[in-house]
Amino acid sequence: MTKNSDTTAGIYKETLLAGLWRENPVFRLLLGMCPTLAVTAAVKPALTMGLSVIFVLVCSNIVVSLMRNLLKPHLRILMFTLTIATFVTIADLFLKAFQPEMSETLGPYVPLIIVNCIIICRAEACASKNNLLVSIIDAVGMGVGFTLTLCVLAGVRELLSTGMIFEAKVMPDWFVPWAAMSMPVGAFITLGLLLGLVNKLTKGKS
Amino acid sequence: MSKIKYFVQQSWLLIVSSFCFGLLLAIANAAWSPIIEQNRINKLNVLAGRLIPKAKDFVPLEELGVEIKVKLLKGEKKKVDVYKAVTGDECFGWTFNAVGPGFQDKIELIIAVDKDFKTIAGFDVLASNESPGTGDKIKEEDFRTQFKAKPAAKLEVIKSGEARDNKILAISGATISSEAVVKIINHYVKEVKEEMQRKGLIGNDKEQ
Amino acid sequence: MSTLNTLLLGFISIVLINNLVFTKFLGICPYLGVSGRIDMAFGMGMAVTFVVTLSGTLTWLIDHLILMRMGLEVTRYVCFILVIAGAVQLVEMYVRKFFPSLYESFGIFLPLITTNCAILGLCLFIHLWGIDNLPEAVVLSFGAGIGFTMAICIMAGIRENLNLADVPECLKGAPITLITAGLLTLAFMGFAGMIR
Repeated sequence: MTKNSDTTAGIYKETLLAGLWRENPVFRLLLGMCPTLAVTAAVKPALTMGLSVIFVLVCSNIVVSLMRNLLKPHLRILMFTLTIATFVTIADLFLKAFQPEMSETLGPYVPLIIVNCIIICRAEACASKNNLLVSIIDAVGMGVGFTLTLCVLAGVRELLSTGMIFEAKVMPDWFVPWAAMSMPVGAFITLGLLLGLVNKLTKGKS
Repeated sequence: MSKIKYFVQQSWLLIVSSFCFGLLLAIANAAWSPIIEQNRINKLNVLAGRLIPKAKDFVPLEELGVEIKVKLLKGEKKKVDVYKAVTGDECFGWTFNAVGPGFQDKIELIIAVDKDFKTIAGFDVLASNESPGTGDKIKEEDFRTQFKAKPAAKLEVIKSGEARDNKILAISGATISSEAVVKIINHYVKEVKEEMQRKGLIGNDKEQ
Repeated sequence: MSTLNTLLLGFISIVLINNLVFTKFLGICPYLGVSGRIDMAFGMGMAVTFVVTLSGTLTWLIDHLILMRMGLEVTRYVCFILVIAGAVQLVEMYVRKFFPSLYESFGIFLPLITTNCAILGLCLFIHLWGIDNLPEAVVLSFGAGIGFTMAICIMAGIRENLNLADVPECLKGAPITLITAGLLTLAFMGFAGMIR
């Protein structure tokens, strides 16, 4: 954010894009690994998780940004956690009320958003230093980046483990599903290989 | 006095925002908890309704003033949620929730039996964490239909052959998961039956 | 006797079968970040074990004695995270006072334990599994810590050797660690079904 962009609009665009690729939370910063691995057995829970994270991220960034000038340094982290925990509870209640099936599939991984490093990291690194608009844009960028990554990973795993995407069959009949892909093994290895691929791609560019 | 002032100065934001967050949570909870409760009841009713299609309502036994406590597979005694499946005044059977250890995690089932506890009407899986591809086939129709109209006595798992009488054909590659389900059903059907006979909710075998 | 049996089985199952790192994906961050050296990994594991035992017990008590009695379940997550933050603070002060050298080597990892998902995750799982007696909650919490320590130490050992191996350039660092972890989960799947 210290970089001198030509216009304010330039800063906003820069912030938004940073979250999507250059500082992609999962691939580049290695943050928020638990949900990335745990909920990506299929695309639908991954998408739900991503949306919940966007909601919590935007709300907590708004609150933190609004009170950034009032924060006492040693109570800062406590305030962040309190804010995040509140919004996560609201998201959890919302899912339980309107998406009961998804809420059951995600189980404890919804409340675990509280300890998702992405959110507290963005509150600390961005929202507590910048004004409201930049914070919101940053939250949206990071959140969407996270969601997209989750969906890519989930897409690969769902495709290989069931031959379906979004519960619609896409693979030809001769395809034998790899059950292992929906187990923890599949999660770890797919993410490992994807990270490797991203490393390879970025290396080729620079 | 200055200490108190210092304390307030440092933490007023924390206190004020705690109040705000608390209020926010209370509002969200008040607005959505009836829906959550309704969802839970709906889910049970839908599952139970699939097992005993003739019944319209599932009345928890607590509403009839009875509490059923049985020994769990783990050893201690605990309350079991038993529901009476009724349409109007006619009773069509009973459903109850059961839980026991599976291959990896515990398996939660909903079991339905007919009104005399003579035959099993079926079961469904409420929650499980069996291995995908093999163990989680316990949720599938093929395996579950085997239990329909089986005698509510000791069921047996076989690995090959025909699933007649009290025999259940195990899922190939998931014998342990199949056995776990049968074990849970055997245990709960027996225990709940005995307990309900003791409470006089259903007749004794000998009398009939 | 049967209580003892239950406790023992619970302990083994949380260490080996339902290991938080390998089956529930909890505590992956320190697992990737810290586990480069085996002594550091062990220290981290011990700190986590202590915090998780403390906070698992405390959250169980708070959940059953206060929240459930007063119908305040909606504030469960907030309370849990506050208890964990408090427990971490306590451990930090204790270690700084009595083991200054250990404190030096932990560095920034201690405060990071607050955001270690293994701890909040365990508290949530204890609630989810419907554990309703204190001894079981304590044993499970302790077992989770031991399981975490074991996982992180195994990983550190492998990574010490990986440094000498010829890993493809683009897989160096986190990717190869993840793949190794994947293979380890395969190994740990062998424990499934051990307890019936």
